[in-house]
Amino acid sequence: MLEARALRKTFGRTTALDGVSLEIGEGEIVAITGPSGSGKSTALHCLAGVIRPESGEVRLDGRRVDTLGEDARTRLRRENFGIVFQFGQLVPELSAVENVALPLLFNRHGRQESSRAARSWLERLDVAGCADLRPGELSGGQLQRVAVARALAVGPRVIFADEPTGALDSLAGEQVMDALVGTARESRTALVVVTHDNRVAAYADREIVLRDGAVAGTSTAGASTAGASVAGPSAADGEVTA
Amino acid sequence: MSIRHVLLGLLAERPKHGYELKKEHDHHLPGARPLAYGQVYATLQRLERDGFAEVAEIAQGGGPERTAYAITGEGRAELERWLAEVEEPAPYVASPLFSRVVVATVTGGAADGYLLRQRAAHLARMRELTAEKRSGSPARVLAADYALQHLDADLRWIETAMERLADLRGEIDA
Amino acid sequence: MITVMRMMVRGRSPRERARARLMSAGAALATFLLCTAANLLSFRIDAPHDRLWVFTEHEPRLLAALTLTLLVVPATVFTYQASRLATATRERRLAALRLAGATPYETRLVGAYEVGRQALLGGLLGGVAHLAVNVALWRSLDGVVPLLSPMWTLVVLAAVVLIGVGSGLAAGRHVVASPLGLVRRARPRGPRAVDLLLVGLGVALFAAGFIGKGRFPVGGPYGAALSVTVGAVLLLFGLVLAATWLIGAVARRAGRTAAAPETLLAARIVQADPRAWARALTVVGLTVFFGSAVGAQQGDILFSPWLTTSKVVAYLLIDLALLLALVTSAAALAVHQAEALLDHRRSFAVLAASGVPASALGRVLTRQALIAASPVCLVAAVAGAGIIILTTADAPGWSPGTFTFAAVRAAVTAGIGVLAAVLVARVSRRTLRGALRPEELRAG
Ligand SMILES: Nc1ncnc2c1ncn2[C@@H]1O[C@H](COP(=O)(O)OP(=O)(O)O)[C@@H](O)[C@H]1O
Ligand SMILES: [Mg+2]
Repeated sequence: MLEARALRKTFGRTTALDGVSLEIGEGEIVAITGPSGSGKSTALHCLAGVIRPESGEVRLDGRRVDTLGEDARTRLRRENFGIVFQFGQLVPELSAVENVALPLLFNRHGRQESSRAARSWLERLDVAGCADLRPGELSGGQLQRVAVARALAVGPRVIFADEPTGALDSLAGEQVMDALVGTARESRTALVVVTHDNRVAAYADREIVLRDGAVAGTSTAGASTAGASVAGPSAADGEVTA
Repeated sequence: MSIRHVLLGLLAERPKHGYELKKEHDHHLPGARPLAYGQVYATLQRLERDGFAEVAEIAQGGGPERTAYAITGEGRAELERWLAEVEEPAPYVASPLFSRVVVATVTGGAADGYLLRQRAAHLARMRELTAEKRSGSPARVLAADYALQHLDADLRWIETAMERLADLRGEIDA
Repeated sequence: MITVMRMMVRGRSPRERARARLMSAGAALATFLLCTAANLLSFRIDAPHDRLWVFTEHEPRLLAALTLTLLVVPATVFTYQASRLATATRERRLAALRLAGATPYETRLVGAYEVGRQALLGGLLGGVAHLAVNVALWRSLDGVVPLLSPMWTLVVLAAVVLIGVGSGLAAGRHVVASPLGLVRRARPRGPRAVDLLLVGLGVALFAAGFIGKGRFPVGGPYGAALSVTVGAVLLLFGLVLAATWLIGAVARRAGRTAAAPETLLAARIVQADPRAWARALTVVGLTVFFGSAVGAQQGDILFSPWLTTSKVVAYLLIDLALLLALVTSAAALAVHQAEALLDHRRSFAVLAASGVPASALGRVLTRQALIAASPVCLVAAVAGAGIIILTTADAPGWSPGTFTFAAVRAAVTAGIGVLAAVLVARVSRRTLRGALRPEELRAG
């Protein structure tokens, strides 16, 4: 469905992406991992049509995305993509429910209808109790779940998440990932999550490892491209001997 | 791991049969290797010999599987002592993973490729565990968390190792 | 402490340097205006001079001095607004100071030093500029324009620096930087009924200073000047608080009923900080108030048989001064919007990334301006025209024509005020585009 071929992107003298190719299937959950500075965020921004690569192409359903003008890409993002970042994405002056309703309102839905839909999303993500609070009054985990609700509210085909749990402790991070992955699966929304946390990557059907702006390897629930031959049970495989 | 103490702990609740103990052990410690029935029986006999447990009741026409054991006062004291004890941090690194990477590095071989494959294998197991957690009982979630965090620690070590190998190679090349 | 202050000044970012320059410019303007006003008051009274009658005849001269003094208000607001630019960076630096062991009072001192320094630089510049103009006029128009005694220049300079230091101290009041480096902005209190007393007291002092000039009970002319200044400051505070309440109420209402997301965003953002808008808009409101009042008066006179050229010229001069005030206050508004945008650049960049067009976010800016400026300008225009009509309506000469003129003039003045705010918002769109760059999305 979403496909990138030979993406290259440089910032000044830094080469952020150096020939990245990857593909995201309908409803698939993919993790992009790699050390910091390996180009994960840049790849995500290219895929989401936020920035344009210098060369290579991005296609959604076979249609070129990267060659579209700013307006067309904006419309495409609004209709097809939802985005979740590490922090600071909610408008501090709006209540949680207003934040979630915002993209619906921008899609020309009525105020009442948008609010109702927003509330039900908050309920699905277990933060209905925060509906009328402002972002400043919420915990990190609640904030991220509200952000997830906002990304899902417009019924996107792909959700892009850049380190969605980066600012959370592990339990709150797990709740956010449970909510994000659970709702994405239920609504058959594809999810691309950039992370350097293996436990977050473990939620995905497939992992794409970036290193120095290039794909270093991928692995799926079945096997890895590197062709692993697993020898014996691993040390942590249930039984840990002291 | 001390099966003796786990069984004592399970008996602390009320007297139980050997079969019951095996089932409860497997239920409460879902991540652990399942107990063999013979192992349960042998352990119970040792507990009885040491005075930590006693036979509470033998059902009619009962083989060993029909014998219920109860914890004794001494057994309770032993259990408490064990619970109060601190687990000694592992003094040696005794992981085949570790040995494999070190040997691969020393022989100048393909440690990098190995590490990537190992990473994939680890992550695959982490995926299974993550999926299990979704539908699991609290005990299973605890067990999965334990395993996940250990696998994660392994993975992070693998990543550091890969970085270090890259640095090392850079130094040699330079 | 002084060393630390110097260090902080040297380590400023380009944004902070720009802010410092703007502050100096405001201080320079204020000093120049105040010196000119003082100079005007020391003109030789009633010296016959046909072209310069505005400055030599008693009544118009007072009016001109008053206008100049009033123009100091927008200059002051502009300076204050500039001092609030780049607050985020500055607060982080102050928090770092706290972390390094400075007491809250010391961090406030650092803030005051920064503003005071800029006020002094600007004040010196303004003083020198005035001196140059003064000397030039004195040479060419001897007999009318005397040299202002350096005493006065010094007094004005001292006042400007003092106000700068005071506002620097006050600006640090809302920032509670804990020793752990957390910066919390204590919520400024909302407006209260007592604030109306401020308005009343301000008006009283102001009026007393002007009416009682020359035979002021304490301190003679100096007492009168002091009374006017204190009255103006009090009045300004009171008006800001009243405007805060008004803007907050209107924004709350707009936010409740908004159907368009742009309006919702705009209303909520204004509602969250009506005080900042009130501060920026008070001068616009005052300008509209005077503009509308003068308009009503003009209506009274224009349709009367006692119209003289001198009066027409005086009115034109006043309108010109009002326009100047409007421009200065619009600049203050622009500074405010730029600052507010900085606070929102991340959440706006995320909105843009998820497909909200930049044009829609631009509309948020204009609607903010509309929501905040409309009530203030409307109330100011009605009040301005109303006061004149109420106090002079029973005088002869009021006809339907004069009423219509007053109403139209009030409406136009209010419209100009709102238009100024909206234009400023449209100009801020350029800043907005900068804030929406994808780089803002990067976490670190
Ligand atoms: N806007 C930018 N300006 C300059 N350098 C950038 C910019 N964005 C990314 N980079 C550089 O590109 C490289 C990849 O960045 P990024 O995609 O953010 O990595 P990651 O998300 O994996 O940490 C880094 O070296 C980073 O410094
Ligand atoms: Mg990143």
